[in-house]
Amino acid sequence: MNALLLSAVLGVVMMFSGIWLKSKSAIRNVAIVGMALLLVVNILEMSGMIFFRIDTKGMIVFDRFALLFDSIAFLSTLLYLFLSAQDIEKVGINYADYFALIFFILCGITLTSSFKSLLILFLGVEIISIPLYILTGSDKRNLKSNEASLKYFLLGSFSTGLMLMGIALIYGDKGSFDTNSINLITETPSALIVAGMLLLLFSMAFKVSAAPFHFWAPDVYDGAPTVFTSFMATIVKAAVFIAFIRLFEEAFGNLQNKWQLLMAIITVATLFIGNITAVFQQSVKRMLAYSSIAQAGFMMLSVYAMNAEAKEGLLLYSAAYSFATIGIFAVLIKMKDYTFDGFNGFAKHQPLLAATTTIFLLSLAGIPLTAGFLAKFYMLKAALGTGKYLWLVIFAVIMAAVSVYYYFRVIQAMYFKEGDPPVLQITPVFKWTLVILAALVILLGIFPNLLLTWYYF
Amino acid sequence: MIHLLQTGLNSADSGSFLPVAVQFIIATGLVAFLMFVTHMLGPKRKTTDKLQNFSSGIETHGDARQPMAIKYFLTAILFVLFDVEVIFFYPYAVNFKVLGWNGFWAVMLFVGFFLCGFIYILKKGALKWEE
Amino acid sequence: MPINYYIFLSLALFCIGIVGVLTRRNAIIIFMCIEIMLNAVNLLLVAFSKMHHLKNAAINATAGTDGQIFVFFIMVVAAAEVSVGLAIIVMMYRNIHSVDVNFLNRLKH
Repeated sequence: MNALLLSAVLGVVMMFSGIWLKSKSAIRNVAIVGMALLLVVNILEMSGMIFFRIDTKGMIVFDRFALLFDSIAFLSTLLYLFLSAQDIEKVGINYADYFALIFFILCGITLTSSFKSLLILFLGVEIISIPLYILTGSDKRNLKSNEASLKYFLLGSFSTGLMLMGIALIYGDKGSFDTNSINLITETPSALIVAGMLLLLFSMAFKVSAAPFHFWAPDVYDGAPTVFTSFMATIVKAAVFIAFIRLFEEAFGNLQNKWQLLMAIITVATLFIGNITAVFQQSVKRMLAYSSIAQAGFMMLSVYAMNAEAKEGLLLYSAAYSFATIGIFAVLIKMKDYTFDGFNGFAKHQPLLAATTTIFLLSLAGIPLTAGFLAKFYMLKAALGTGKYLWLVIFAVIMAAVSVYYYFRVIQAMYFKEGDPPVLQITPVFKWTLVILAALVILLGIFPNLLLTWYYF
Repeated sequence: MIHLLQTGLNSADSGSFLPVAVQFIIATGLVAFLMFVTHMLGPKRKTTDKLQNFSSGIETHGDARQPMAIKYFLTAILFVLFDVEVIFFYPYAVNFKVLGWNGFWAVMLFVGFFLCGFIYILKKGALKWEE
Repeated sequence: MPINYYIFLSLALFCIGIVGVLTRRNAIIIFMCIEIMLNAVNLLLVAFSKMHHLKNAAINATAGTDGQIFVFFIMVVAAAEVSVGLAIIVMMYRNIHSVDVNFLNRLKH
């Protein structure tokens, strides 16, 4: 509850700081301090210090799962601001408003991670989506940005329509939006419940860009300004996954044997399309867009498995994936040329940046000693734990092997090719934050319990 | 959905829809008939004068698709936004006494956030007509 | 009136909306079709709310009201979406002087 209220207030503060504060560095500092405050307040709530007690009639419950994910999201956003806050400046003139929108999105994230009622799920998803439409189109003169924004908007609101129809049908059968009372389903669910569940499944798959509802993602991620792609492909995607697993555990947990096969098919399709298409990309930004679909396939494994390991694994996965992808995007923003050839000879000019980028790429590919490896391991273990569909696990391992190819293409370009990439402007803060991110990725890869103990104590 | 189909279908209910159906058929039938008849009976003279838009005898000039000032869109969009938010006052007005002071503070919080938005657009100059 | 009529009416409206979104090329008309979808849901929610109220009013006097509250939230969120969506469409129109979604192929490589 702390973080929910504070993030909304901070959003308003950022709106007004754009009017009152004239210097851009002051606005940036307000945003970073606000973000740090948000993280601290949320961690305080985890250790039992709750500042606001509001009776939400059981519609919102801040359990450990929600609070820990919120902390991961806030930490990622804080690091993201340290890395990329200066690059947001280049997008447009409404500097402070972009930060305000980011805070509003975080407000939505706290809602989607802690809902107990479908009303809150709907509100949270919309509070995330509507600012994202604006951020996608924030580069107003760029036609690609316009196009991405319009496409995202039309398809996003279409999927919201599907979600609402699903909620309405479930309400028709149960007479309640509360997830616990929806879950009280006897052996044979009625037609309304099944139709509603399928519509909710489709719309959530759409929001997390799982195949066959992924087609918007590459275009939108490619067209949006790169700073905002970084935010929406990592933190926002992880948050929607948290909502996804929460919805299907709490509202449809009793029907698991009905939807599990469908979820397995979606997982396989997502893994296949994401990884295979990423192999053929020429632009690193577009490759990362497809890679985010491929990583979504791995996160889908947790929704499919839906056991204790799956939830732990999803938390670890969202941390590992967010840290690594934010780091790579931060380096990518500093490049002039987004193709693979743009990275040629990068290691000679910027050895530190090249080294950290390599760590991030290794983590995304799932090489041991990085957080990505353990995250994938937890996912596969959770999927094995269900005792069904062994082919799904085997297929996921094969696809992880395929992903090594396109991640290593970047490493190869950086270290083994001659080239002269344009000189970048790198601040010391940027360098140190990258090093911290890389350290976090390795640390989580060796001691995952640093993160997961928070889930239990 | 099939069991829902079977529950409430009785003759009295479906009978009450008969006037609506008749009305519907007559309305669409009349429109179709009139469109058909005008095309059959009306004389056809296709001269350049005839094909022009009718604007009360005044000579037309220019293009109707002139660029419109962005202020109109902005004001319209803001109107839609602020107009619909009032919706939350309806349930509050109905339950005004029951909700007591708690409800009052909750609504004040809502109005406060709302006012922030209003001050924001004023400060941004979104409602300034003259520049 | 039985609930079936409401279900069929709102499902019909919803399907009209879906077909419109999938077949029309004008961004504003697609947008209107999405609004039809949302309003079909509103209608259905209000009908269900009334149904649950009639069924459970004896046990719980406020049964079914949450459906109507949900409709309010949908309306407000739809208004926010309208304002953002229209702003995006206007921005698009100012750049390419068209609202045809067939123009949206710049990102396809």
